[in-house]
Amino acid sequence: MIKALLLRRYWLLRHRFLSTISFIILIPIVFHFSITKVMENILPLSSNNVAYEIWVFPAIIFLIASSSTFAIIYRDFFDLRIHKISFLPITLAPYSKTRLIIGFIITSIIESFFYVIIAMIILNILIIEPLNWQVFLITPIFTFIYTFLLANVVVTFSIISERIFTFLSLSIILFFFIIFGNGFIIDFDLFPHMMGLFLSYNPLSIILSELRNILFFNNIDWKLISIPIFVSVSWTWFNGNLLKRKLKQ
Amino acid sequence: MEASITLKKVGKLVKDKTILASLTFGVERGSLVAIIGDNEAGKSMLLKVISGVEYQEYGQVFINGLDSKKRRLEVMSSIGFVPHEIDLDPWLTVEQNIQFIGLLYRIDTETLNTRMVQLARDLHIIPFLKSMVSDISPGIIKKAMVIRSLIHDPDILIMDDPTAFMDAESYRHTWDLLLRLRGEKTILYVSQSLQEVEEAHDRILVLEDGRITLDGSLDKLLGSTFEYHQFQIEFEELSKNLYNQLSKLPKVKNVSRIGNSIHFYGKERNVFFDVLNAATSAIMKDISVKKLGLQDLMDAKYAKDGIH
Repeated sequence: MIKALLLRRYWLLRHRFLSTISFIILIPIVFHFSITKVMENILPLSSNNVAYEIWVFPAIIFLIASSSTFAIIYRDFFDLRIHKISFLPITLAPYSKTRLIIGFIITSIIESFFYVIIAMIILNILIIEPLNWQVFLITPIFTFIYTFLLANVVVTFSIISERIFTFLSLSIILFFFIIFGNGFIIDFDLFPHMMGLFLSYNPLSIILSELRNILFFNNIDWKLISIPIFVSVSWTWFNGNLLKRKLKQ
Repeated sequence: MEASITLKKVGKLVKDKTILASLTFGVERGSLVAIIGDNEAGKSMLLKVISGVEYQEYGQVFINGLDSKKRRLEVMSSIGFVPHEIDLDPWLTVEQNIQFIGLLYRIDTETLNTRMVQLARDLHIIPFLKSMVSDISPGIIKKAMVIRSLIHDPDILIMDDPTAFMDAESYRHTWDLLLRLRGEKTILYVSQSLQEVEEAHDRILVLEDGRITLDGSLDKLLGSTFEYHQFQIEFEELSKNLYNQLSKLPKVKNVSRIGNSIHFYGKERNVFFDVLNAATSAIMKDISVKKLGLQDLMDAKYAKDGIH
């Protein structure tokens, strides 16, 4: 199943090669100049004395992964479903709904992974201080965990929404929450104490903070990182059942 | 013969409205079954329930003896479904749409391509295989949907208006293929074209308000409901005496007149000759004999009143 879904994504990419490649190249450049370069003037160093442009780098990568995950799941899962295009034959194939959800999520993770690698190369050119090899190795692994969780959230939005307006409203709210409520571009230390503490324990922000811990301080809390993984696996199962109920299959 | 599809007291509700009401019937393996009925009769929903697109609220559907709800994953490989709406991905080519579904069903690439090309040749769409779906006409897309539904070689083919949007030639190619598959595959389809159903069926199910009101071959349905032929003779002058004389002939049914024309029904064609013999003294201007068809059956007047 994953082979079929991946091949379809490849065909789509090939048919829209120019627009896709422009998206892949432009988005890290836009994020770098509109977030990193601007915020750097306000916060040259993070609360842990890491240069802002280095500190924000994993967050920019996560934002790029978020953008592509939204685009892929919106197209493959929401748009095709509500417009009754090509989705029905997929649901009639001999797979459980949970397996279908896993297929869609893995496909979006793999494609996002491809975009993330290109974004990392572009950002490495733009960032003044060169990134070490560890960043190139560890960031994609954490991006995988992050995309797994985020894709589940977007899949839930896709299943419960029947209108584009609803889906986009939910997505915009989530996107703002990701950017401003997860310590992506502003350190939790700058939030009101209780609010920062509360937000730092949401599974999306745990992944980023643990990535920063391992990249900048060489330590990782495996118990903490297992929380988003556990949430993602449970959420996938939940989405499978939600889809089954929605389709009445 | 062995049943390929069996429904036991199948009921389907949409909100509080009953769409299918306790349907019980079987479809023999290899048969070609047409479903007809008015709009909102529940035809499409019946196909959806049988093909697993939507589950029924009540009753059971068995596909090749397996409960379609409990053994879904096994059952789904034996079904090919063609929905009414055009649903190929417009941003892929026809070939890619078909290959995608073939790969989903784990068909190896060589078999998939051979089967696709063979079916595309049968339906005369080889030149369109590499075209983007957004660039071709709905009739071609519908033919591609038929190929897509057959790509995993299912035992049962369920189609909602399979020849919708097709021109006469495409219609003929599609039915040439489907009629060749009859016997090998069980084919169940809904059509709005009564002529299409008359030409292609082993059995017809007439659905009305979610219930099967008639079930059988065309001849059986027509025979059980009303007479076979409708006759019309136009005289230069149809006198009252002649009209009465003809009305009283045995086997002449439902006689009526419009001006100088007499209309009546008869089960056998020789009724017509009896009438002609009885009316030799009068000058006839025109005569016509029409074998009744599904259209007449579906006509509310006859369907409800029959011929007395």
